[in-house]
Amino acid sequence: MFARSALGRSDQLVTALNSQKRQFVLTAATTALGSLLFSEDNRLASQMEKGLLHNKNAENSASIPNTANKFFSRPEAEYPGHVPLYTFEKMLMFLGSSVGAYTHPERNEFIVALGESTAITPVLRRLQHQMLSDPVGRQILRERPRMTSTSLDLEHLRELPDNTIGKTYVKWLDKEGVSPDTRVEVKYIDNEELAYIYQRYRECHDFYHAITGLPIIIEGEISVKVFEYMNIGIPMSGLGALFAPLRLKKSQKERLYNIYYPWAFKSGLNSKPLINVYWENILEEDIDEFRKTMGIEQPPDLRNLRKEYFKKLKEAKKIV
Amino acid sequence: MQDIVVIGGGPAGLSLLAALKSSPKTRHLSCTLIEGSSLQSVRDFLVEPPEEYTNRVVSLTPKSVEFMQQKVGNWDFIKQDRVRFYDNIVAYDSQDNDARIEFDATQIGAGVLAVMCENINIQSSLIGRLNELGMDDSTTILDNTKVIDITSPIHHDLDQHDLNEIDVNSGKSDLDWPIVKLSTGESIQARLLVGCDGYNSPVRKFAGIESRGWQYNTFGVVATIKMQYEDHRSIGWQRFLSTGPLAILPLSEDNATIVWSSTPWLSELLLKVNPDIFPHLINAGMTLEEVDLKYIYSMLDKDPNDFKVLDEIQWRLSKIDIKSLEENYPLPVVELIQNSRARFPLKLSHADTYVAPRVALVGDAAHTIHPLAGQGLNMGQSDVGFLVDALEKGIERGLDIGSTMVLDSYVANAWPGNHMMLGVCDKLHKVFTTDFGPVVLLRGLGIKSLNMAESVKDLMIKAISGR
Ligand SMILES: Cc1cc2nc3c(=O)[nH]c(=O)nc-3n(C[C@H](O)[C@H](O)[C@H](O)COP(=O)(O)OP(=O)(O)OC[C@H]3O[C@@H](n4cnc5c(N)ncnc54)[C@H](O)[C@@H]3O)c2cc1C
Repeated sequence: MFARSALGRSDQLVTALNSQKRQFVLTAATTALGSLLFSEDNRLASQMEKGLLHNKNAENSASIPNTANKFFSRPEAEYPGHVPLYTFEKMLMFLGSSVGAYTHPERNEFIVALGESTAITPVLRRLQHQMLSDPVGRQILRERPRMTSTSLDLEHLRELPDNTIGKTYVKWLDKEGVSPDTRVEVKYIDNEELAYIYQRYRECHDFYHAITGLPIIIEGEISVKVFEYMNIGIPMSGLGALFAPLRLKKSQKERLYNIYYPWAFKSGLNSKPLINVYWENILEEDIDEFRKTMGIEQPPDLRNLRKEYFKKLKEAKKIV
Repeated sequence: MQDIVVIGGGPAGLSLLAALKSSPKTRHLSCTLIEGSSLQSVRDFLVEPPEEYTNRVVSLTPKSVEFMQQKVGNWDFIKQDRVRFYDNIVAYDSQDNDARIEFDATQIGAGVLAVMCENINIQSSLIGRLNELGMDDSTTILDNTKVIDITSPIHHDLDQHDLNEIDVNSGKSDLDWPIVKLSTGESIQARLLVGCDGYNSPVRKFAGIESRGWQYNTFGVVATIKMQYEDHRSIGWQRFLSTGPLAILPLSEDNATIVWSSTPWLSELLLKVNPDIFPHLINAGMTLEEVDLKYIYSMLDKDPNDFKVLDEIQWRLSKIDIKSLEENYPLPVVELIQNSRARFPLKLSHADTYVAPRVALVGDAAHTIHPLAGQGLNMGQSDVGFLVDALEKGIERGLDIGSTMVLDSYVANAWPGNHMMLGVCDKLHKVFTTDFGPVVLLRGLGIKSLNMAESVKDLMIKAISGR
C-alpha cells in the first residue's frame, strides 16, 4: 500500500526534473524498497504485524478509535540524540534527500540524510551480522571506540614512520585538508547498536580513502564508494556509484569506467570486510602488510593520472 | 506355547501386557514378555526412585493419561511427585523472536495441555500394576533375555521369505505359529507375536513388513537441568533454531528437561562442552541471535572449556530488554545434572502395515517420529488401545486372535491417525529448520496469523492434547 503511494509521490516530486533524473529517483526508490522488502523478510513480517510498515493515515486510525492516539505518539528515543521516525517519514526523507543530493551535491546535509535514510535496518543488520561473526568486529561493538581528532592523537601519528597506517592516514588528512571531526552524528537510526555501527562506518570512511590513496575529489569519492559498496554493502555508496557519474565530464568517466570501477569491484569483493578493522589498534602497523592481509590492491594514483592527462592536453594544444 | 508373546519391555510392550491383563475379555490369555536388557532399575524405581531425574522424559497427552487411568490402570502407580502438568506451550522463532505462538490450554477450558513424565516412571508404574494384578502362570516377564531368532514353520521356501538373519530351518511344527528363539536357549511358540521391539524391530523384519522413511541427519540431545528457581508459569518452551528446535520442558520444582535437536556436528559439541558452560549455552540458545550462537559454537568447537563464552553470552543478553527477557523467555538455566546428557538419532519411519498373519507391531516398531511435538510414546499408547480393542472383539466373536481378520481392524483404526501425525511433524521440522528467506518470511507470517486465529489454535491445542 505504502509502496505505491511512495512511488506516486516520487512521481510528483520529479516531474520538474528531466527524465534522466526521474529514472534515478525511481530506480533508487525501487532499490530501497526492494531491499526493505526482501532482505530481512521476517523482521519485516513483525513490523508488518505491528503496523510499522503501514502508512498510518487518518483512515487507518479511524477504524481503531481507541488506539488512535497510540499511533500518533512518537516512540521514545533509543539513545542520546536519536530522533525516531516513522517508516513513511524515512521514505520521505530518502526521496527528499536524494533529489537534494543530486541537484545540490555540494550541500552536505543532503548527502548525510541520504546516507541515513538508505542505511535502512536490513542493511545495517547485515553489517551487524558481519561484525558479530568476527572476533574483532565483536570487540569493536563491545568497546564502541569513537574516532575524533583527540581520540586519535594526530600529533603522535605524524611522528610515526612513513610506511605505517597511522602516518598514511594523517598524511592523507593533511593533503586533503580534512579532520576526523568533520563527521556528523547519527540521529535517525532506531536501534542503538545499529546507530553505532553506522557511526562507525562513517568515521572509518577516511581510512578507506587513506589506504586506497584516493582523493576526495568527485572521481576519488565515487571510486571509494564503489569499493565500499562491494566490500560492505551500504546502499548509499551503491547509489552514489550509480548516479553520480552522470554529472562527470567524458574524460573523467573514461578514467572511472576503465580503471577505477574494475579496481573497486575487484578489491572490494576480494578483500576482507573493512568494517571489522580496529583502526585505532593497528595505526603503527605496516601499510603494505595490511593491504596484503586484507587483500586490497592499490589503485593507480588518481591525481597523477589527472596531471598526465592535463599535460597531454596542453602539449596537444601547443602543437596545434 | 503362548497365546501372546510380546517382544520388548519398553513403554509400549509393558503397556500392552498390563492392558491385556486388565481387560476382563483378554485377561485369560497366556502372555510372555521378553526384554533384552535388565528391568532391575525399573523395579527398583518402584520401591525407591533415585533423587535426581533420569534423562529420558516424555510429554504425555491428557488422552494417554486417561488411557492409563481407565484402561491400563497404571496411573495410580506413577510417582506423582515426579510428574509435572503444564498448560501452556510457547513456541518462537530464532530468526524473529516476535514470531511466536502460544498454546494456552486454560483458554479453551481444557486445564492441562500435557504432562511431563520420565520413561522409567511409566515403565515402573506398569510393573506396579502387573504386580497388583498378580503374576501367575499366564503372565511371564523374561528380562535379560534376547530374542535371537524368529522362525516360521511354514516358510520353507527361501526365495519367498525375507531372511534378515533368520534361520528358517530350525523350526519344525505343524502349526503356523511363529517360533521365538531366546538367548537362554529356550524357544516359545506364539499364537500371536507382538513386536514392541523399537525402531530396529526384529519382529517387523521377520514379518517382511516394509518400513519407509528417512534419517533426519539430526540428533536429539537430551539433558536434565535445574532452573534458577521454580517457574510457576508451567510453560513448555520451544525455540526453532536453524539447526533444529530447542525445547525446555518443566519438571517438578526447579527441575526441567531439554531436547535440543541439532546437526551431528552441533550435537557432538553439546555433549562435550564443559558441564558448567552447558547451562549458559542453553540460555544462549533460547534467547540470542543465530549469528551470536554460531560465533559461540565456533569458540567452543576450538575449546569446549573456553569460559570466555560466558562473557560473550552475558554481553549479548544485555542487549535484550530486561522486561521482555522476564516475560517472553524461560527462566535462566543454572545447572546441568551430572552425566545426564545423551543424544539420539532422529528419524521418520512408518511401516506400510502393522500386521501380518500372527504378527502385530506396536509403538516405535511401527513408527518413529521427530520429537518436536512430543508424540512418539503417545502414539504407542493409542496403538495399544486399538490393538486391545481388536483382540477383545475377536475373542467376543470366537475368532483366532492371530488371524488377520482380527488384526486388520487394529491397522484400520491406528494407521491413518499416526500417518497424519507423522506428516505434520515432518513438515513442521522441515519448515522450521530452514533459513531460506521466503520460507522464513512465510513462517513468520504464518506463525503470527496462527497465533491470532484463535479457532485454528483451539483445534491445534485439542490435537496436541489428544482431545
Ligand atoms: C529425544 C527424544 C525425545 C522424545 N520425546 C518424546 C515426548 O516428549 N513424548 C512422547 O510421547 N515421545 C517422545 N519420544 C519418543 C518415545 O521415547 C518413544 O516413542 C518410546 O520410548 C517408544 O517406546 P517403545 O516401547 O515403542 O520402544 P522402545 O522404548 O525402543 O522399546 C523397545 C524395547 O525392545 C527391546 N528389544 C529390542 N530388540 C529386542 C530383542 N531382539 N530381544 C529382546 N528385546 C528387544 C529393547 O531392549 C527395548 O527395551 C522421544 C524420543 C526421543 C529420541
